[in-house]
Amino acid sequence: MKPLAFNRTLRQLVAVPILLLLILATFLLWQIQAAGRAQRELDHSDRITDQLQELQNHFIDQETGLRGFQLTGDPAMLAPWRAAAGPIQSRFGDLQQRLAGDPAQTARLTRLRSQYSQWLGFADAVVHQNAASLNAAGMNQRGKALMDAIRATLGAMQVHEANLREEQYRHARWLQRRELLSLLFSFLIVGAILVLFTRHHVRAISASYLRRIAELTRRSEELHDSQQWFQTTLESIGDAVIACDMDGLVTFMNVVAEKLTGWTLDDARGNSLESVFRIIHEETRVPAENPVSKVRRLRSVIGLANHTVLIARDGHESAIDDSAAPITSSAGTMIGVVLVFRDVTEERHMQSALVASEKLAVAGRLAASIAHEIHNPLDSVANLHYLLEQETDPAQRAEYLRLAQQELGRTMQISRTMLSLYREPKAPIRIRLRELIDGVLLLLDRRLQHQGIRVETDITDSLTVEGFPAELRQVLTNLVVNAMDASGPKGRIRIRVQPAEAAELRGAGALIEIADSGPGISPEAVSRLFQPFVTTKGANGTGLGLWVSMGIVQKHGGSIHIRQSDDPELPGACVRVFLPTRTFAGETGLSAAEPVAQP
Amino acid sequence: MATILCIDDEALGLQIRRAVLERAGYQVLTAIDGPAGLALFREEAVDGVVLDYYMPEMDGGAVAETMRLERPDIPIMLLSAYINLPTEVVQLVDMTLLKGEGPLELLEKLRLMLRSAGSSAAGLLS
Repeated sequence: MKPLAFNRTLRQLVAVPILLLLILATFLLWQIQAAGRAQRELDHSDRITDQLQELQNHFIDQETGLRGFQLTGDPAMLAPWRAAAGPIQSRFGDLQQRLAGDPAQTARLTRLRSQYSQWLGFADAVVHQNAASLNAAGMNQRGKALMDAIRATLGAMQVHEANLREEQYRHARWLQRRELLSLLFSFLIVGAILVLFTRHHVRAISASYLRRIAELTRRSEELHDSQQWFQTTLESIGDAVIACDMDGLVTFMNVVAEKLTGWTLDDARGNSLESVFRIIHEETRVPAENPVSKVRRLRSVIGLANHTVLIARDGHESAIDDSAAPITSSAGTMIGVVLVFRDVTEERHMQSALVASEKLAVAGRLAASIAHEIHNPLDSVANLHYLLEQETDPAQRAEYLRLAQQELGRTMQISRTMLSLYREPKAPIRIRLRELIDGVLLLLDRRLQHQGIRVETDITDSLTVEGFPAELRQVLTNLVVNAMDASGPKGRIRIRVQPAEAAELRGAGALIEIADSGPGISPEAVSRLFQPFVTTKGANGTGLGLWVSMGIVQKHGGSIHIRQSDDPELPGACVRVFLPTRTFAGETGLSAAEPVAQP
Repeated sequence: MATILCIDDEALGLQIRRAVLERAGYQVLTAIDGPAGLALFREEAVDGVVLDYYMPEMDGGAVAETMRLERPDIPIMLLSAYINLPTEVVQLVDMTLLKGEGPLELLEKLRLMLRSAGSSAAGLLS
């Protein structure tokens, strides 16, 4: 049952009985009023009967007093006669009022009154007669006749009233019975209606209530189960999880997080995240930004800074890879932050090994050029040495020596270039991109010539970036070799270096674009190219070049993208590398911030 | 005296090699790339070829292949800074020499190559 229907049913359950009871009460009230009216009519009749009786008694008193006077002639005997005169008049007045609604009785009363007047006239005559004539037979007869007439009228009135009362009494009795019966009947009907009505509704409500209870129980069980499930899941996953509230206070951490931070959940709960989750930059040891404030600021999922090291409670350090995300309520408001991180110390070692192996592979790929570059001058030097041994002309010998010197100088330069692939300054230095690219092209010159590949450069001369030259040389070598492999013999490569203005989320820098005339690249391949061990060159590639290149570029705070070229002259792939003018890579030498002291 | 055709894109190295060979008594023709070398090969009476492998545009392998097709009797020595030359190219030529092995090695190998070429040619003639 829906809440609306439930409320309506509840309202009906209250309203219908009240309405029925109100109807019943009105009906009863009407019944009671009818009964009361009947009772009042009965009382009215009784009062009239009483007054008629009183009138009769007074008449008797007067007649008795008059008789006594007649018999004795003693005026004292007239006292009752006189005493009754006042009450009789007042009774007549009362009866006149009471019988107003009954014309027959009113007519009788009028007759009675006139009869009484006649009798009074007779009595008056008796009282004022002399004593001798008091008992005259005629006199007595007349008085008796008058009084009999009065008695007859009074009797008729009494009989009428008695009949009337009897009738009213019957009516009252009938009303009483009717009242009782209708009361009983209406109670039965109302009861039946209520029973039928409420039974249906109460059943519906009760069923709905039971269903609701069952549903609530089930939901609460489900909620409990799901809570347990999430708890267990969070506890069981291999990544460390820490949740905080909006104030950055720890509310939850799983076992892995406990192990990595060295804090137990009980100890950590309520502590600030900074104290539990202490992170610094791997190389600079500058404290990394608190992820909670960063998430609060950006209101989105963030990957935390690369090369982050977590310092456990006991000072143990682990390289971690982490991300943080806002926890939002169903209403969409942010109620906390969840951090997910994992120990990548091993992975970092593995990556270092892979990076080193790629460095070797790059060197290996260059070995042919280098061998050529070194063996050519060495061959000349050996030849010159042979010629010197046999030559006696000093001028000729001097010429041979000069040539030998020149060839040795060339060898030295090649060897220096080769070594610079491996030698690296501790801190980033300012690098002229023109020089860097020229160096790379010089190293690859033999192979480019051999394959007849033409390289066009369009480089803004003065452009410099901060960084590690050997690493960037490795990246560029890698990209140019890729372009050479893609464009094939007699292909074309264009290297363009332009200043890039500051944009959202990045500062100003340089944009290096390397386009080739090769077959191009499919979008599917693009998404996989930067993963390790993905190669399009079969057995000739390690599949690490672009992966390592991306690592180096990202370390410099730059970005690298490959897409299909939109230039019809160079329809192949187009790699774009952005390098910032100022790098944050290895900012030991550049940042004034205090490094975190080793605990 | 035998005439040797030297082909190498390294101008300086080529001149020095020419001096070494001339001092050893050979007559030397030089070319700075494959096509120029092939032109000389066709025009001049050449007894042997000292050919650099690693050259732009047309490498030593391609040059040697053309020479073999045109005049298979002329011996070819392939010079290389590579340790590993393609096998099919090695099989194509009479002799290989790694740059840096020195002039004595060059002269010795050249002498052996010309002699074996001469004897097989003599054998063919007789």
